[in-house]
This record gives sequence, C-alpha cells and structure tokens, in this order.
Amino acid sequence: MDNSFFAYIQELELIAFFSGFPLIYATILVVAGSSNLKQGFKSKLVQLLPYGYALAGTLYLGLILKNLYPNYSLENIQHPYLTIWGLLAILFWIPAISKKTSISLMHSLVIFIVLIKNLLTQLTSSSADINMVRNDMKIYTASLILNLGTFACLLLLSFVLNHFRKKIIT
Amino acid sequence: MKTFNNKTLMMFLLIISGTGYIASCTNENEAIPLAATTGPVITRGSNVHIPGNMTVGNTSEWKLDKSHSNVMWSTNYVGAAGLLTGRFNQFGTHEVTDAEMTTYTTTGQPLKDNSWAFYESDPTKTFINGYVQINTSNTGEPGRDAGCNISALGTTAIIAGTQNLSMTNLAKIKSTEVKFDPLSNDYIVTLTLTWKGTLSAPITKSVVGKLKYIKRATVGTTAAPYDVFGLQLKFQFNCRDFGIASTSISDKIDIECNMNFNNK
Repeated sequence: MDNSFFAYIQELELIAFFSGFPLIYATILVVAGSSNLKQGFKSKLVQLLPYGYALAGTLYLGLILKNLYPNYSLENIQHPYLTIWGLLAILFWIPAISKKTSISLMHSLVIFIVLIKNLLTQLTSSSADINMVRNDMKIYTASLILNLGTFACLLLLSFVLNHFRKKIIT
Repeated sequence: MKTFNNKTLMMFLLIISGTGYIASCTNENEAIPLAATTGPVITRGSNVHIPGNMTVGNTSEWKLDKSHSNVMWSTNYVGAAGLLTGRFNQFGTHEVTDAEMTTYTTTGQPLKDNSWAFYESDPTKTFINGYVQINTSNTGEPGRDAGCNISALGTTAIIAGTQNLSMTNLAKIKSTEVKFDPLSNDYIVTLTLTWKGTLSAPITKSVVGKLKYIKRATVGTTAAPYDVFGLQLKFQFNCRDFGIASTSISDKIDIECNMNFNNK
C-alpha cells in the first residue's frame, strides 16, 4: 500500500469535517434572511455559524492528534498545507475573526473545491470508479450532518447560557 | 440583494451536491456476484491401473505392496465404549474361487493379487476383489487373538507356515458396482461381503463403501525411480448377520483397507 492511499484517506477526513459547511452556511443565511423569525434570533443564527465551524475544526484537530498518536511524527501527514488549512478553522473561536462570517465560508469553500475536484476527476476519467464517487458523497453527507450538529450544539448551548444569564440578572 | 446572493449560493451548492448524489446513485461498476457453487470442486484425472500379469519390471503392471498395506477393523468395545481395533495380518486382492478355498503351504501370498482394476475416469470398469484370513486378526493381545477370538469368529487356529483360505477362515469382498461420489473425488462402491462366521454356511451380504484414490506419484531414488498409488476402501457391516454373538463388540464393524501398489 503506497502513500497515495493514505493521502486519499486524509483528503476524505478534510472533506468529512469541512465540505458540508458551505451548504449549511447558505441555508442558515437564507432562512435567517427570509423567515419571520425575531431579529435577535436571526442575528444569533448568523453569528453562531463561524463558531459551529470552529467546533468542527476543533474536532478535526482531535482526529489529527489521535491519528498521530503515539509518536506525533509530522511525516505521517500527506497533505500538510491542506491539513494546516483545515486546522486554521480553530481560529474562528476568536470573536474578532468570527465577526466576519463570510471568512468561514471562504475557508470551507477551499475544502469543498477539493470535493468537487475529486468528483470531476472520477466522473470524467476514462476509468471512472463510481464507488469512489459514491464514497465521496457519503462523506459529504456525513459532513453536512456534522456541521449541522456542531451548529445545533452551539445554538443550544447559547440558549442555555442566555437562559441562565437572564436568570442570574433577574 | 444579500438574500438573493445567499439564495444563489445555496442553489449553486444544491445543484453541485445534487449532481454528486445523482452520479453516485447509478448502478455502474457494481459487479454482479458470481453464482455460488452448489457443490464441491471435483477434479479427476484419467489414470488407469491394472495388475496385468504382475510381471516384475513391467512398469505398466501394478503390484500390491502387501507389506505396506493393511486391512483394519474397529468397533465400539461392548457396543458402548471406545474403539476396539485390530488388523488382519493376512489378506490379498484375489477373487478366491470355491476351488481355491483351501490351505496353502507357504508364508507368502497364496494367490496372485490380480483381481482388481482401477480406472480413475471410468468407474464402470473399476472392480475390486479381496479377502482376509479371519484367524490372522491381530488386536495386539496374543491371548485373545489365538484364544477366544478363534471360537468367537467360528474359525480355526493358525498353523505355522500355512495360509488358510478354507471356507471357515475366509471373508471376501467383491465389488458389484463402482460409481463417482457426487460429493467428493471418491467413489461409491457396492460390495458383496461373503463370510461364514459362526453360521453353518457362508452367507453373502451387500454393503456400500467408499473408495478413495490416492494419486499416482513417482518415488524412489533418482537412479531407480518407481511409481506408487493407493486405494483406500472403507465400509461397515453388521457382524450379527454372520452369527457373531460376542457382546464385547458392537453390531457394527468398520473396515478400512489401505492398499498400496507399485509398478516395480
């Protein structure tokens, strides 16, 4: 088994954590922009998007650390630039960076492009392997669920904190 | 305007995602699994082994290697416990006719071991004949073998230097049909077993056994190689059919004949 297999696996890991974010991002913005929700709730939804993304990035860091255990040798990383790019998502925990929500979209689009590149390569090559396309889409589905989950977690946490904050104030 | 941009982005992402999902939903590349095999893989060659005149040095004529062959029996002790086993020291692959049922003064084979033929791919041409001298049953207990076994099996004691092929001491088999075993590389053999036992006259019973062919192989030294092959015949019979009343043994007696042949 050569390194190309491990490189493919690491690419799939990146896709699993970040490629689903753009669709979640666009959906939340569309929902926030057109629904009859309260203005405060709408802005809360949008504000939390980069934090949800940061949580996905943190989970990705956890996976990287788990994969590198026990010797933590960087030689095992096949896509160093993409991996670093993925880890940069943690920076969205910093309020100053997460203020500009569109940056998180830009960040995730890079990984989304990797997914599109994979799909196009498989669909256009003479020896197209539909199993790989199928696998990529399964990973993409998992990514959508993960990003929706991280966002929902933070939304829930935010409501819980707000609730207790209000209680303390009153 | 911003909502429109967001909608455009969402539509774009949905189209790309949808295209990916549709592309991944085709059944292309899905290999149709091969049909499961319903039976064992059976491979048979076309070896033919016949004894001919058993001329020494004729490599196309096969000789029974008696000293490296054996006929073994086994039965459950008292019909319930572990196996009681033994072997017949004297046996052969000759169809003993009534005229040949007598005593021979020799220590070697009394009759030519030439009443057999084996066709690997044509069992209809295969046939086997064989015999054992009952009083040569050897359980490793001389007191029993030369003692109670003699009367229990309805025979007479061994006389040194003679081969007793008389009716009272002879059990013989003769194949009546040999066919392929559909479940293995072996053959199903229908045999007649003729033995007097403790009855007043010999009776013949039909039994079914299994014949295994151990393929021909070249052995020996480089200077003097020769070929060997083996036939293993297993069958079972009911000793009560032959008047054996001993309660030390079970009704069912298993027989295993391991015959080795060479073309030296």
